[in-house]
Amino acid sequence: MFRREHRTGLMLAMPLLVSTTILVLIPTLVTFIFAFTNFDGLSQIKWVGFSNFSKIWGDTLFWTSLKNSFYIAAVGVPLRITIALFLALLLTPERTGVGAARSSAFLPTVIPDISYALLWLWMLNPIYGPVAYLISALGLPGDQLLLTPFGARFSIVFMSLFQIGEIYIVLLAARRELPHELYELCTIEGTSAFWTFKRLTLPLLMPTIVFLTARDVAWSLQSTFVPSLVITKGGPNFATLFLPLYIYQNGFEYMRLGLASAMTTVMFLLTGLMIFVQVRVLRFRKGLFDL
Amino acid sequence: MGRRKLNFWATAALIFVSLIFIFPILSMLVAPLREPGLPPPRGLDIIPTNPSFQSFRDAFSMVPLGRSLLNSLLVTGIAVPITILTASWAGLALTLIRGRTRVLIIGSLILLATVPVTAIWIPRFVLFDKLGLVGTYVPLIAPALMGGSPLFVLFYAVAFNRIPREVFEAAIMEGCGTVRLWWRVGLPLVKPTTAAIALLSAVAFWGNFIDPLLYLKNEEDITAPLMIHSLDQLVLGPTHFPVFLAASVVITLPIIILFFATQRLFQGRERGGSWLGR
Repeated sequence: MFRREHRTGLMLAMPLLVSTTILVLIPTLVTFIFAFTNFDGLSQIKWVGFSNFSKIWGDTLFWTSLKNSFYIAAVGVPLRITIALFLALLLTPERTGVGAARSSAFLPTVIPDISYALLWLWMLNPIYGPVAYLISALGLPGDQLLLTPFGARFSIVFMSLFQIGEIYIVLLAARRELPHELYELCTIEGTSAFWTFKRLTLPLLMPTIVFLTARDVAWSLQSTFVPSLVITKGGPNFATLFLPLYIYQNGFEYMRLGLASAMTTVMFLLTGLMIFVQVRVLRFRKGLFDL
Repeated sequence: MGRRKLNFWATAALIFVSLIFIFPILSMLVAPLREPGLPPPRGLDIIPTNPSFQSFRDAFSMVPLGRSLLNSLLVTGIAVPITILTASWAGLALTLIRGRTRVLIIGSLILLATVPVTAIWIPRFVLFDKLGLVGTYVPLIAPALMGGSPLFVLFYAVAFNRIPREVFEAAIMEGCGTVRLWWRVGLPLVKPTTAAIALLSAVAFWGNFIDPLLYLKNEEDITAPLMIHSLDQLVLGPTHFPVFLAASVVITLPIIILFFATQRLFQGRERGGSWLGR
């Protein structure tokens, strides 16, 4: 009996397992191999040992792009998770109009990347962008937003704060899964809203938050690609040159596939490290597998 | 604080939050109405004084936008059903499989969800290049074979997991085959989740920018997001921004219509439903 279910299950999982192996697992391993070659898509592949890595070590632009990517993740991810958590908790109780609010919070997430990037290019443009104008009206240098390194990076973080639909939806669903009884008990005991949040909601949601944080770190490494390509073109002064853009330029514009693979490998290791640190910071305990 | 007062503040907060998140879409919808080429306005001129549709006409005449929209429709139309197929299969599989295999698969999915797509660009490109598939739509559709995204598989797993196990056990005991179990027993019970995944995967495939950028070369093959990128490189300066904003609206509107059309399906409260199809 049990065996038959198991067999049916494995059969159904097969397309996922096979395609994932071909499209993700093997490519990941191949990246690590390419990193040690001079692969350029044309000439004979030659083993070059660590020379790609020593090239990267001496490449100031690589360090700049690495630093920028770190900045975006370190500033953007905590903001995005916090806002999404706030949204999820605000939109949990069934009230009048909550359905409409749930939909509108998700709306910016469905805008195609290119449209979203162009929208912000217009809103922030120094000549007549409405957001740039509003910031200038507050007495701040709004027309400088895309022209200064800080402003450009800030803009890219800021525009990403609206596209948090997937994070907030998962948190909303996770919050609704929490047992009603515990909250009823809190109401009877008369605990404060803050206590309930800190001692009940937050700990119970922590496994989900950890997963979403790890995912968002990785996401920030690809979501910055389109805005930095379209809005800021990596500038000003390489302030928005992020790892994906630099890897794209090296790999697909200059065909230095081996070198780009080495950069990818470094990015991979650092993503892993960042996720590990965050998981530690958020005091990862258990429950990640209790779906 | 009285209950009525609390309700007032809650409603105010809801309205405020909704407005913030609607703001980008609203400004996108009105921006193309400015006539391209006009000198920049003084001050904040969000809704143009003399609205015109010239920017839409320009967008379609400067580049073959119509053709690229059809290409996008083709890719999305093929990829979304495949995504639903593989994601729901895998999700159902995760409720049938027990023990260590299950933990292993879910663990790998969670790990996979944290691999940036950027990291596998190069070898994946080389793979499709060796197979002679660069320039076709296969590389764009291929992620659908993995259920679109690990997150989609997990959504389905959560939804199927909520159905009492006995339902599947009984069906298998009655001699129900694998395909029937999925199509006749499993899938009808998770309709709201299917609506959600259909929407989310349509968003992902319709708006996909990076894969067409890497894989498509011929102008007649490229999809709408990439066409808009070539349009924004043609546009001469800030006074012509309405042209590419018009094109942006053209590709965003279908998705927004789909978004509101699927709302009822996966937010229907009458069945205790919620976003993930509870």
